[in-house]
Amino acid sequence: MRHFLLFLLTLTLAFLALSAGRNWLSPPELLEALLGGPQGVGRMVWSLRVPRVLVGVVAGCCFGVAGIVFQSLLRNPLASPDIIGLSQSAALGAVVALMAGLPIMFGAWVGGLSAILLLAWLAGHPRHGIEPRAVVLQGLGLAILSGAATEALILRAGDNDAGMMMTWLAGTLNGAGWPEVHDALWLVLMMVPLLLSGRTIDRLELGDDLARALGLRVGFLRATLGLNAALVVAGAVALCGPMTFVALAAGPIARLVCYGRPDPIAAALAGASFVTIADMLARSFSSMALLPGGLYTALIGAPILILAVRRQARRETS
Amino acid sequence: MSFTVRNLDIYLGRSQILHDLSFSLPSRGVTGIIGANGCGKSTLLRGLAGVLPAQSGNILYEGEEVTSMSPRIRARRIALLPQSGLAPPGLTVRQLVTRGRTPWLRPFLPMTPSDQAAVEQAMRAVGLTDLSARSVDSLSGGERQRAWIALVLAQESGIVLLDEPLNFLDLPFQAELVKLLRGLRQTCRIVIILHDLTVAARLCDHVLALKSGRLVASGPPSEVLTRDLLSATFGIDFDVQDLPGTGKRVVLPESF
Repeated sequence: MRHFLLFLLTLTLAFLALSAGRNWLSPPELLEALLGGPQGVGRMVWSLRVPRVLVGVVAGCCFGVAGIVFQSLLRNPLASPDIIGLSQSAALGAVVALMAGLPIMFGAWVGGLSAILLLAWLAGHPRHGIEPRAVVLQGLGLAILSGAATEALILRAGDNDAGMMMTWLAGTLNGAGWPEVHDALWLVLMMVPLLLSGRTIDRLELGDDLARALGLRVGFLRATLGLNAALVVAGAVALCGPMTFVALAAGPIARLVCYGRPDPIAAALAGASFVTIADMLARSFSSMALLPGGLYTALIGAPILILAVRRQARRETS
Repeated sequence: MSFTVRNLDIYLGRSQILHDLSFSLPSRGVTGIIGANGCGKSTLLRGLAGVLPAQSGNILYEGEEVTSMSPRIRARRIALLPQSGLAPPGLTVRQLVTRGRTPWLRPFLPMTPSDQAAVEQAMRAVGLTDLSARSVDSLSGGERQRAWIALVLAQESGIVLLDEPLNFLDLPFQAELVKLLRGLRQTCRIVIILHDLTVAARLCDHVLALKSGRLVASGPPSEVLTRDLLSATFGIDFDVQDLPGTGKRVVLPESF
């Protein structure tokens, strides 16, 4: 039921986003444009807005589901991929790939996977396995390092692409078209195991020993879910840049809706709604050039981050 | 239901924690594990539950190797309550107890009526039915520990392993929990790590004494909780007194 309501919300927002833009379409106009075929407004809607909204929804789902999986695996509401450096490292990989003339998605995956393997290695302990708090703190460092390296690369390249790439680095759906929708379909497939992992990550939150005693293959599940989530988030970064705070905010929102339980489907839908709203704002209020949607996710996401930390701190002291 | 350990060695990292342990558990009742901090009690319990790999030796449940069972099957037979149970914030008692059904659930399917019945019965057994909708964070220490015990009871395994469930509880809560565990010994087989030797004498039908990862003694409490064996286990002297007429034994360090 909760999933259905969230799904309805996402769907409504997506249709709203199809109407939004420099020239707003009323519902009948939108319907006519969608059904009318490829002439006039219909062409604009089908070639620009539909793929853009689809890519935004899929990327938002990716950020949201990967966010809650990492937050749950690391038992820390701050431990989302955009805080622990996965998004930034994926962006670094994507920029390197772009400059080397390789597929961007490939670069982002290499970046994201290297980051998670590096973190697992750095935070690994021979007796106790991976220490979640160490992942978060070292990940913060990694995020800054990768971010700085990416900016240095972009500025060094220095030609007129730099501005566009900086926009991408903040997260934007500018330039998302049908080829990106095609990439997004692969990400939808890759997301499926994460969407179905609700019961698993819920049990893992009880602690590794108890989860094992309840019959879970803890090491295998942690490793596969972590790698899968890293790939999904890196794929989303390749599509629309590291949209700031989407992954971080989707988890707390999903928990708010689902009585505190880690629900990957709710988090995916929350992420999709979040990106759709941000992109709608970006398209509606940018007069000259399009401001990055990432700007708006940051504006909305930062307060959510502060609230999440506050709630967590209160809970720990009470 | 036989449960036998033969020549068990367990390492954590590179250091050997358990050395060549061999014993069998009685087919019913409460088995207590005693020993000083760091002697390997928790490691033994985790080994028995199959959540730690054994480097050599066997842990046999009805003749079947515990470490080579599939995790789900093993979880239906052996339940473990680790020492630091931290309930995820906001979880209600019923939700926590429901987690104990995990090894019985079909993937992606909701609980069946028999799962529901097991959850209800576990909550009834620990007397928390009335508090089932309360959040675990809001319970008192004793109630919270009972909720965790209900989780492992809901697992409906033949053996329940409890790692120091009486720790950090005030005496009234300890008393309440000891009473609960004494009631449970009729229905399931319990292995429990205990610090308070007087409680061990009262609660256990069988006691294993460990020192530095080796077994010092194994037997009924009247034979293991004696001055000689206790000083061999803990390295200090004890006063051991039987209270006349009650069948209770009081064990205190001599220097107290």
